[in-house]
Amino acid sequence: MTDNSSVQRMSLDAALDVLARRREEQVVVGTMTANGAWRQKSPHDLNLACIGFMGGASTLGLGVALSQPDRDVWVIDGDGSLMMQLGSLGTIAGAAPANLLHIVIHNGVYETSGSQPLPSQQQVDFAQMAEGAGYAQTASFGDAEEFDSAIDELLAADGPTLIQLYTRPADRFYSARPTPPGTTPALARMWPPVAEALAG
Amino acid sequence: MTAQSIPADQLLSAIREAGVQDVVLVPDTHQRTVLDLLMDDEEIRTIHCSTEDEAVAVSAGLIIGGRRPMMQIQHAGLYASVNNLRGVALDGQFPIVLLIGLLGRDPELEPEEDGSSMVRLCRPLLETLDIPSHLLDGPDDLHHVAEAFDEAQERNGPVALLVGTTTS
Ligand SMILES: Cc1ncc(C[n+]2csc(CCOP(=O)(O)OP(=O)(O)O)c2C)c(N)n1
Ligand SMILES: [Mg+2]
Repeated sequence: MTDNSSVQRMSLDAALDVLARRREEQVVVGTMTANGAWRQKSPHDLNLACIGFMGGASTLGLGVALSQPDRDVWVIDGDGSLMMQLGSLGTIAGAAPANLLHIVIHNGVYETSGSQPLPSQQQVDFAQMAEGAGYAQTASFGDAEEFDSAIDELLAADGPTLIQLYTRPADRFYSARPTPPGTTPALARMWPPVAEALAG
Repeated sequence: MTAQSIPADQLLSAIREAGVQDVVLVPDTHQRTVLDLLMDDEEIRTIHCSTEDEAVAVSAGLIIGGRRPMMQIQHAGLYASVNNLRGVALDGQFPIVLLIGLLGRDPELEPEEDGSSMVRLCRPLLETLDIPSHLLDGPDDLHHVAEAFDEAQERNGPVALLVGTTTS
């Protein structure tokens, strides 16, 4: 059994830098703390976000991947989010999109809501779960340099691939501001330009 | 009024005529004869999900990439998909058509009079979510299938079709 209490952890920043350096024309679906950081590091009109439907990043990315087999799709998922839609590991493995990379930010907590511990925080291992579900490749990294030297080989091979990144949580929480009436939700604003870019 | 069973091949034809490319599903006992045909179909792809919440997000992703999906689930799955129906289909303004089987419905009664909560609460829930629905109570109602796709496009949002009795 994995012991997460003694595992090495990198900063979220360093983890996302490794990915941002490889960003080309992939569709990227971000969520939770990683999403805000990603949008700053890699602003792009092919960024999508899972905001307001916790757990939906992996399957939103799956749909895009299945619709565009020649385009790489990256999902940057939260560990608590994946826990909420854990069955999506089986759904993704069954559909078997070769072009899907599923990153899981394993900080062990629900950072966005105030860093409460995940159920099975001390043991949960999403790479093992993805392997058991039938992903083509899985890997785990707690050191950014190791991740940096291994990722190109992982990207070159067929997916679906799950990469679990052990990161250090910051202690913060998200306090929702009131949404003024008539506001267009983030997803409704984000996806039409992505659809247009993919069609063009 | 007695609801009539819809033959599986007729429902499949209606799905095909609506231009559906992907059927995103969690199996519905009630529509199993249609599922058997769909899984053997060479043109329409079936995508099997673990939960209906996922099926909503997969459908949305397919639409982003230019495909024409349809969700096929049962009433229990509607209840299981509410957070993504709200957060993805409604908030994201995705024209997703859902084909929902009313398993166990008494064909002599309106769904709202049914003894089973799964059947009875279906339309009231859809109304609360502001999702239009159309009841398929026999082969004569199959015109709703293609129309639902037009309605979903016009509304920029989901539309539900309720399969009133077990398909034959
Ligand atoms: C269905 C649902 N339940 C609970 C919440 C409250 N919530 C918002 S963010 C969050 C934590 C997200 O955790 P994780 O996916 O691990 O991402 P992190 O914040 O750690 O980056 C929770 C529990 C929610 N948004 N939706
Ligand atoms: Mg987390």
